[in-house]
Amino acid sequence: MLNRYTALTPIFCFFEKLFVFELMGSESTFSAQKRNTGVLPTTTATAARGRAATALPRGRQMNKTYNNVKITVLCGFVTILVFRGTIGIGNLVSTEAEAENQHLIEETKRILAEIRSDPTDPNEGLEEYLELNATFRLGPRISTWDKDRKVWLRKNPQFPNYVKGRPRILLVTGSRPNPCDNAVGDHYLLKAVKNKIDYCRIHGIEIVYNMAHLDKEMAGYWAKLPLLRRLMLSHPEVEWIWWMDSDAFFTDMVFRLPVMKYRDYNMVIHGYQDLLFEQKSWIALNTGSFLFRNCQWSLDLLDSWAPMGPKGPIRDEAGKILTANLKGRPTFEADDQSALIYLLITQKDQWMNKVFVENSFYLHGFWEGLVDRYEEMIEKYHPGLGDERWPFVTHFVGCKPCGSYGDYPVERCLKSMHRAFNFADNQVLNLYGFRHRGLVSPNIKRIRNETVPPLVNVDQFDIRLMVNRGSGYRS
Amino acid sequence: MLDRVLSPRRARRFQRLLRNGKLTLLCLVLTVIVLRANLGAGKFGTPEKDLDEIRETFSYIRRRAEPRRVLEEAKTEQKSGGSTESGSNNYAEFDITKILKDEDDGVQEFKRDPSQSYSLGPKISDWDQQRAEWLKRNPGFPNFIAENKPRVLLVTGSSPKPCENPVGDHYLLKSIKNKIDYCRVHGIEIFYNMALLDAEMAGFWAKLPLIRKLLLSHPEVEFLWWMDSDAMFTDMAFEVPWERYKDHNFVMHGWNEMVYDQKNWIGLNTGSFLLRNCQWSLDILDTWAPMGPKGKVRDDAGKLLTRELKGRPVFEADDQSAVVYILATQREKWGDKVYLENAYYLHGYWGILVDRYEEMIENYHPGLGDHRWPLVTHFVGCKPCGKFGDYPVERCLKQMDRAFNFGDNQILQMYGFTHKSLASRRVRRTRNETSNPLEVRDDLGLLHPAFKAVKVSSP
Repeated sequence: MLNRYTALTPIFCFFEKLFVFELMGSESTFSAQKRNTGVLPTTTATAARGRAATALPRGRQMNKTYNNVKITVLCGFVTILVFRGTIGIGNLVSTEAEAENQHLIEETKRILAEIRSDPTDPNEGLEEYLELNATFRLGPRISTWDKDRKVWLRKNPQFPNYVKGRPRILLVTGSRPNPCDNAVGDHYLLKAVKNKIDYCRIHGIEIVYNMAHLDKEMAGYWAKLPLLRRLMLSHPEVEWIWWMDSDAFFTDMVFRLPVMKYRDYNMVIHGYQDLLFEQKSWIALNTGSFLFRNCQWSLDLLDSWAPMGPKGPIRDEAGKILTANLKGRPTFEADDQSALIYLLITQKDQWMNKVFVENSFYLHGFWEGLVDRYEEMIEKYHPGLGDERWPFVTHFVGCKPCGSYGDYPVERCLKSMHRAFNFADNQVLNLYGFRHRGLVSPNIKRIRNETVPPLVNVDQFDIRLMVNRGSGYRS
Repeated sequence: MLDRVLSPRRARRFQRLLRNGKLTLLCLVLTVIVLRANLGAGKFGTPEKDLDEIRETFSYIRRRAEPRRVLEEAKTEQKSGGSTESGSNNYAEFDITKILKDEDDGVQEFKRDPSQSYSLGPKISDWDQQRAEWLKRNPGFPNFIAENKPRVLLVTGSSPKPCENPVGDHYLLKSIKNKIDYCRVHGIEIFYNMALLDAEMAGFWAKLPLIRKLLLSHPEVEFLWWMDSDAMFTDMAFEVPWERYKDHNFVMHGWNEMVYDQKNWIGLNTGSFLLRNCQWSLDILDTWAPMGPKGKVRDDAGKLLTRELKGRPVFEADDQSAVVYILATQREKWGDKVYLENAYYLHGYWGILVDRYEEMIENYHPGLGDHRWPLVTHFVGCKPCGKFGDYPVERCLKQMDRAFNFGDNQILQMYGFTHKSLASRRVRRTRNETSNPLEVRDDLGLLHPAFKAVKVSSP
């Protein structure tokens, strides 16, 4: 800064000198005019003065001129430099900051874009689609799983399949390995996983959160098939494996699966029998939340289910078959839900005796009919019911917050997901004496006096103790 | 020429005026140009743009706002110019803060008395006894789940609002998945906190009221393991040596000399520590909390800590410096129950670890937990959820991906997969599927490890 202000001085100098020259020139004209017009005795004096002015020694005048020229050139030089800096290319701080800023912006954009996409994109193997007639297998055929598993359990009593009288359950969920198309999508995935962590901690269920594509042919909604098979085979101590979509929230923290009801069944899925067999509707069952027993039957079902899955011509052709045979199905590639429905309809005798189509509680609860009634539920009912009075699971089908576009308006989806999350979180925070300030707020308030001894609160409000005792929920 | 029009005198005056005018004009032009350039409007854009640029020069936070603006601009690039009405189906345009509002649901709130000095809660003095009685009454919830294996609750958390950084939530998601995996393998429970229990103890102090609340609400928990959201497990096979701490109540990564002798503010790290559920812990929490309340108390405490501790920069009091101060000044009272662990990386500073992952894979194996294969890689200073941290964004995020994959490989190998490289999200098989899956054992023995085995005696 200092440089620039001092640079102004030479500029003024330069221009001053220019005008000095001009003035000098005009001055001589002036004095000449004066000489010509004067007639009085003063004329002689002025003339004398004028002559005197011009009678300055030439040498000194030359010197003066020479000095002026030197200073002019110097000032001119500095002026040019300053002009270059201000108008042209220069190295001043402001332009430097601009360039740096641009660079920073571009770098960050590049980083974000790179993180969002994967440099080694799955679409690389596009040419490797399976032929239409090729048979797809999830893995080598296993036929003695029940026996093998029983032997293993006997040899490993420290990993029993029943703990405290209840079967060991493994909850499996997941999401894609790269960031969502928008920041808000990842935030809801985070909230959804917290919600699942809370439920599973209270009920002693383990979680596997998958973020890897195990089989690039079974991408998208089909990815759960190879994953479930792999987990069943690696964890023989798990009795039930429970798949849950990432957009499903637990909304009843007290409700436990009535596992005794499923003693003689191997698959539990939410749906309606009449929609399935009479209407053959493509939404008769929902594969967003369902359970498989870890047994040979399940492996066989997965093997029969998988063939419609492989990406490419197989999946497209299968999609056409499904649309033709199921009611209300739009035209798109085969999805796992439609494929399962089709399988159970066409091979009813082989599978249905072991499939429990559950609708006495919301193992999957479609969100639209539930989220607006939360206030009413809080007023009239209590957790532990699991059905339409207090839904077990609220499933945000169609919202797709991880993508760019959903099937429903964004504000409705996000607000409803928030409400479902808070509705559930209030049940968790109840033990600690807190509650959200309304169903959409991230803030909480204290709802119990702190003077009560903490263990009294634990005995009264801990869901695990409640559930063990068989007593009801208290809020 | 002017002589002909005006009188000579007038002409001369006029000429002088003209000359002066020319001089003045030229000087003015030059001054304006130079001043414009100095004030930052050197690019000669529209007047409005120039005004903005000049305004920016005078704004003292201009420099600090650079990265923030950069990220905001990057975010707005994503928005396609659509409408922001409630009918929009496009997630990119939606502003989430529109819907996050407090509402009154009629449930009575119990507020603390603001006139009283801050405390974490009513004083409890017989917690050990209360807890012992409770455990006796509830044999179904023992505090030791196996021989030498205490019941541990891992506590972590993040803000209930979306991150300012567009990819921050994604890294929080990966971080929690990493913790879920470690805890599943080691039989540890998780509590993910997304609520601010005490508005006065906001920021890094928020963990104190949370920890106290959890200790008192979960008497079955023997050890509470606090872990920051920016810390990741990188050794899935390492089991914490619980017997080593049977006579201690507070385990942190650090060095005795640095804390007690040097009073160095980074002599220990509170990003990953163990706290036993007992009266002693409640007491130290009560001693720790007073420096926390936001505002004057925290600022003054910060000045004290900067003065007393070695190397501490000037900023408000943080929980870590407060612990160093307490231990250094009250060693006789607390020191014998505090274990400063440095035999393995209960907290491992990422800067010295992340570049060596390939070397570790080549030379060592999981289960060591120390500098050869760190248990925890803690991304101190990266702040992926915020708009700007202490390190360049690219290095932080890329290294977090690598650390995540490094840990994830140990989980995937259980199922016969691994990441294609430490930078890649894609996976490939390491062993083929067989028709006898139970005969295959995973290399690290993590599928059915000894530290997860339940007691063989009947329930």
